[in-house]
Amino acid sequence: MDFNLKKRARHDVKVEVVSLESKFPHNVMIYHFPPTEDVHIDEFEDLALERLRLLRVFDRATTKGLRMMSDDWKEYVNAELTRDGLRGYLRMCSSHSGGIKQEADLQMRRRDYLSHFILRLAYCRSEDLLRWFVAREMEFFKYKFAALSTAEIKQFLEENSFHIQPLTEAQKDEVKDGLYESTVGQSVAKIELLEFYKVPFTQVLDLVRTRRCYLKAGYAYVNTHDLVSIVAARQLEEIERGMQAAKAFINDVEADERISRMLKSLHNSYTGKDYTVCKDASVPIESLDQLSKTSMPLCMRMCHDHIRSQHHIKHGGRMQYGLFLKGIGVSLEDSLRFWREEFTKKMDVDKFARSYEYNIHHNYGKKGSMVNYTPYSCMKIIKEMAAPGDCHGCPYKSLDPPTVKAKLAAYGLSPGAIEEVMFFVTRGHYQFACGKYFMLTHNSNVEPTINHPNSYFEESQILMGNRQKSTRTPGPVQPTNKRAGIRGAANRSMLNGDDDDELWRIAESQEKAYLSQKGIAEAFDDDLDLTQITE
Amino acid sequence: MPEQTAEQESQPQTATTAATQDSKSADSYDSSMLPDMLPVYYRRLFPHEPFYRWLNYGHSEDNIFVNREISFTLHDDIYIRYLCFETQAELEKEICSRNPYKIDIGAVLSTRPKNFRTVPGGLTPVQRELVFDIDATDYDEIRNCCSGAEICLKCWKFMVVAARVLDVALREDFDFENLLWISGRRGIHCWVCDHTARHLDGRARAAVAEYLNILTYTNNTARVQLNDRTHHSLRRALKIVEPMFEEIILEDQNLFGTPKGVQKLLQMISDEGARNDLEAYLQKTHEDGAHSKLVWESFVRYANSMRTSAANIWSRKLKNIVQEVQLCLLYPRLDINVTKGFNHLLKAPFCIHPATGKVCLPFSATAAAKFDPTTVPTISQLLQEINAHDDKTKSYMEAPEDKSRIKDYKKTSMFKGVVVFEEFLRKLERNFKPKTMEF
Repeated sequence: MDFNLKKRARHDVKVEVVSLESKFPHNVMIYHFPPTEDVHIDEFEDLALERLRLLRVFDRATTKGLRMMSDDWKEYVNAELTRDGLRGYLRMCSSHSGGIKQEADLQMRRRDYLSHFILRLAYCRSEDLLRWFVAREMEFFKYKFAALSTAEIKQFLEENSFHIQPLTEAQKDEVKDGLYESTVGQSVAKIELLEFYKVPFTQVLDLVRTRRCYLKAGYAYVNTHDLVSIVAARQLEEIERGMQAAKAFINDVEADERISRMLKSLHNSYTGKDYTVCKDASVPIESLDQLSKTSMPLCMRMCHDHIRSQHHIKHGGRMQYGLFLKGIGVSLEDSLRFWREEFTKKMDVDKFARSYEYNIHHNYGKKGSMVNYTPYSCMKIIKEMAAPGDCHGCPYKSLDPPTVKAKLAAYGLSPGAIEEVMFFVTRGHYQFACGKYFMLTHNSNVEPTINHPNSYFEESQILMGNRQKSTRTPGPVQPTNKRAGIRGAANRSMLNGDDDDELWRIAESQEKAYLSQKGIAEAFDDDLDLTQITE
Repeated sequence: MPEQTAEQESQPQTATTAATQDSKSADSYDSSMLPDMLPVYYRRLFPHEPFYRWLNYGHSEDNIFVNREISFTLHDDIYIRYLCFETQAELEKEICSRNPYKIDIGAVLSTRPKNFRTVPGGLTPVQRELVFDIDATDYDEIRNCCSGAEICLKCWKFMVVAARVLDVALREDFDFENLLWISGRRGIHCWVCDHTARHLDGRARAAVAEYLNILTYTNNTARVQLNDRTHHSLRRALKIVEPMFEEIILEDQNLFGTPKGVQKLLQMISDEGARNDLEAYLQKTHEDGAHSKLVWESFVRYANSMRTSAANIWSRKLKNIVQEVQLCLLYPRLDINVTKGFNHLLKAPFCIHPATGKVCLPFSATAAAKFDPTTVPTISQLLQEINAHDDKTKSYMEAPEDKSRIKDYKKTSMFKGVVVFEEFLRKLERNFKPKTMEF
């Protein structure tokens, strides 16, 4: 994407006369030419987040251990795409007869193309990110390609100058025994009819790896149904080269503060439902003890237990648990009361008011920067480094396995059940471990996808019949008013999740400074303008 | 980026294992003498010239020799990485002055490896032979003759089958021709030196490795699963494995000759119900400790009759079970991580193994059965041989040193190994002939 172009005087921007149809002739395209059109910063963000959600669907399918392109895999991916409000992408991946291309389909192709290039910028910055991105992109690409008809494939091959010719009958006859023996997934009768292509084995490594094709003297014999391997190899090369190029000019791009902030935090941003404000429920604090046993994930239950037993909890835990409580529907007043009751068992009311009340007001967006903070997602919690004495962070990750086991046992899990959870823990799949814990404690057969403690809570409440499943499609992007969901202060703070913390550290140190100097509560009521620190 | 932690091929030997090795070998090799013997070995026996010619590849590509990473292991496991040499003379001089206990060969890098600290972004490997490592220790669960690092003529047969299966697959399926097979102390290495093989990227290496690796391990039990139609590479492997099966598994190893051995057979059956049925059948038919041949025959008979009698698990999932067991026991057990790694350091041929004193010698895969790992010469034996020869001819002291040195290895029992190496080089260099004539 040429960002320099954008900075030049606006008036000499050429009017694009090329139609979308000719620019994006296919659902499946080789991502070769970077787009050159102007994109509004809001759309830029919007596209990036949408694609991120898309790729994360494929990521979840892989982590679940589903075999790529198997029926289970397709079913899961389709369901998740629908659930995440990505129907447009789903349409691209489903074969639909009838050649009428609707405007929406063309728009979708544009979104697909642009968003791919945007994420290149975000994911070229480290080897790990790059590998993740490329793998997910290839899964998406293959899924899209599988939806093409034979005619579309032919056209695609021609337009992208793949110079491969099928074997003649005579050539095929020469190797037919090998083809019969070694072409996986096709019956002998079908092999007779299929067209075969002879390519160097390095072009179809995935077929070689799994012994799915006949291999002779360094050449692989590939049938029409496996052509995707050849095409995918080109796409892969194209993306990898593009990533190297992106790496080279990323510094220029990041000179723009608005973009660099987003790109740097994108891979850690949370893309699920927004729990900033809980609209549909209110939870009285009296029920928290009960709820902590039935509906809270381990990370929150441990915070709760910690507060009840120690009557104090450190800053990280206050943030994590406090915002979670807000998300499940504990009102500001209740929240204040809850913390006050516990903390004052160890300190006087005055000290609590001076040191902690501001913090709670701030979380609810009533003080300081007036931002209504978003509860932490799993991604953020897992990233937290808990120090000794802390109780926040993801317990599956931060505690050593024997301690986790003991905790689970104390919470009433059977040894067998504990092993099931530990299976994921030891492999580093903390969210799956959490999902397993959910299934076991709820006697549920459906494994929920846990990527937010608040969604864990909500799922639990729905399952127990305490809450209605929300009628609207979940996911922040609604087809009709997608802007509304993606913009605004709340959402920005989702993107820049790390800033909350930084902000807080500054705020806290300031607090302390004020307290030690003056020792009066009013000092940081209005004087401490947090907006000045952030903006 | 090259890994900073060196991949050590072999574990440092403790004094005790070295001692047991000593008492076994006829020509008492004493590892404490090694520092005294190595200088003579490197000066008079190590084939410097062919070794250089190999790594130089007829100078067919720029910097192919000078950017190659070599590493030395000196005494006390002092490990030096990122060495590189400008000329054959420099390499020879360094080897002879440092007298490494072990020499490892790494990848050809983008620039001189010794600059690894100063190159921005680190070194990147440019090319590297495709290498395979088959380790006898991976056969421990199915060896009754030896275990660990020991290897006898019976276990060598596993290596023979492995080398044959791999050799023919690399040649026929991938069209590789320049294969250098080396016998190590406890297994074998194969270096594929064709231009295409050397230039495969990491992903291609992984694909080739997985193509050739058919064993999967569940709970430490190796299993093989054949599909409805058997891939040509596996059919070919079966043709090599089947005729050797009786001799190696049933006779030499008598693998199923104990209740424990029968369990090993049972574990290869993936279906629990079928496994229990078979176990009951075998217990009924045989006393404990019946000879493997009888057990195997019963097993084959049982599988066949079950398969043809009715539609059941034996006629579906287990219909190839007999072939699967045979492949499972004799198909090469590759250490695929060695093959996948672009940057993996691997022991060079003609190294001396410090614990046993044995030389790593090239051998020919087609004549692997004739190779005897137990009679591979040790360094002390080799030195005795040249001494004896010198005494006999009295020529060594008088003749000009250079002239005699070239032919020293010919006086010893490592002669054959060097001949195999020279033959490999001759074929390899034939590929570069047209190119060199242009200059």
